[in-house]
Amino acid sequence: MSSSSSLTLPAPGQADRRVRRLLEILGALAIAGTYLYLVLAQPADITNGLSSGSTLLALSGFLLGVVLLILGILPTLPTSTLVLIPVALVLNIVLGQFVGSTLVPFYLDAIGTVLIAVLAGPAAGAATGALSSIVWSLFNPTVLPFAAGAALIGFLAGLAARYGLFRRFYLAPVAGFVTGIFAGVFSAPIAAFVYGGTSGVATGAIVGAFRAMGDSLLTAITKQALLSDPMDKAIVFTVVAVLVYALPRRSTLRFPFVRRFRVLAGAKSS
Amino acid sequence: MVSAAPPRLGRLSPLTVLCAAVVIAVTTTALNSWAVSAGVLLGLAVLLASVGLGRKVLPAAAVIMVPFGLSLLLTHGLFFPEGRSVLWTFGPARVTAEGLFFAASMGLRTAVFVVVFLAFSFHVQPADLMALLTKYRTPPQLGFVLCSALTIAPAIAARARRVAQAQQARGLVTGSGLRGRLAAVREQAVPLVLALLHEAGSRADSLEARGFGGRSRRTSYREVTDSRAQQVFRTMLLAALLAFLVFWYGAR
Repeated sequence: MSSSSSLTLPAPGQADRRVRRLLEILGALAIAGTYLYLVLAQPADITNGLSSGSTLLALSGFLLGVVLLILGILPTLPTSTLVLIPVALVLNIVLGQFVGSTLVPFYLDAIGTVLIAVLAGPAAGAATGALSSIVWSLFNPTVLPFAAGAALIGFLAGLAARYGLFRRFYLAPVAGFVTGIFAGVFSAPIAAFVYGGTSGVATGAIVGAFRAMGDSLLTAITKQALLSDPMDKAIVFTVVAVLVYALPRRSTLRFPFVRRFRVLAGAKSS
Repeated sequence: MVSAAPPRLGRLSPLTVLCAAVVIAVTTTALNSWAVSAGVLLGLAVLLASVGLGRKVLPAAAVIMVPFGLSLLLTHGLFFPEGRSVLWTFGPARVTAEGLFFAASMGLRTAVFVVVFLAFSFHVQPADLMALLTKYRTPPQLGFVLCSALTIAPAIAARARRVAQAQQARGLVTGSGLRGRLAAVREQAVPLVLALLHEAGSRADSLEARGFGGRSRRTSYREVTDSRAQQVFRTMLLAALLAFLVFWYGAR
């Protein structure tokens, strides 16, 4: 579990590392570029229907970015982290599908992603988030365009762990709340331009309420996301904090990321 | 993918089905017309029913589309400030023809997207997916994660059941109220996650011992159905899609 690289196989060369880094940078640029284009260049008027060009751009730009990120990050992860990703994906999908079918305006579909991010770092968190959406899309294709947002949540959760926000129990929900603000602002244009709304009945009702007050579609979805996402991520981060502190110390300390950055209180680096 | 039954769309390669799904979804989205979406949806329903996939794909699509459609109706059917042709008003709700039309177009467009990709999911088997990823030399880690996630769910469900039974045998009683329920969830979630972490550790050691981290080219025991004709068809399909997109957006 603690092995971070194989003892018997040759280590990857410098050229391999450079290619992977390039893939990660290109992936992040594709996602950031698509987001900026959607937010800055698109008209908010929807009376004549949403522009199909912006929908296709959102789908292709985010998907390309996510695939590049996955191809860049996955080969760099130690096997001990890699084997945890499928477990995290199942946790995300089962909880997300269950909560999504209820009348609660939350998602709770990132517990596995945040767990991996806390144990293995931002890169592993981003890859888990992105892969989670891709695997989930085989059962529910509507989640596919949100893969980039899921990667962002994993990345931010890993950063929060890296900078010690899981060392104090009360800071975890704060980190979750802030992550939720970023996630909400990021995912709102995707929901608006790809689907013209949200997929849940409860979240749809909130968007409807803002529309009744005269907001544009993008503004209404952004406000709904800012109501749902920060609270949702605060709950998710708290659940993960409860979980990692309830686990025996020897289990969490097996992860090099936890030891190196002293992610959890009392976990001295060895 | 969801079932263990053999592929039902004849001997089509999963790549051909994926290619067709992408072409249908992109074309319908680009045309952005409710009539086209409704026609494509009808055609897909007939095609899937004729090959025996309708009974699987259509209910699965309905489970996704019913809440999605309700959400669109709530959002646009009742509140559409841009709408001018008011059909009915009730308090703050204002049903307009434009709002209903917008909700219907977005719903139909999304339904096409959902049905074509679910058809792909039901057609492809995890083992075929793994063999294809190996063939096209994607990082082996990707194939492992995708296929492992698709096949691990029953094992996790069984483990969760065993943990619950073990805790009940030790006297776990779900208390009344939110506090009692949360305590019961914690009593079951912590051993489950701990067991999963432990199992993942053993799996990592086994994989490492078998050279999983190596960078040499992999071979696969499994051959995925494909043919030269299908490869040519895929190339032509994608070229036609590209030409259509250039024409459609270039002409505007």
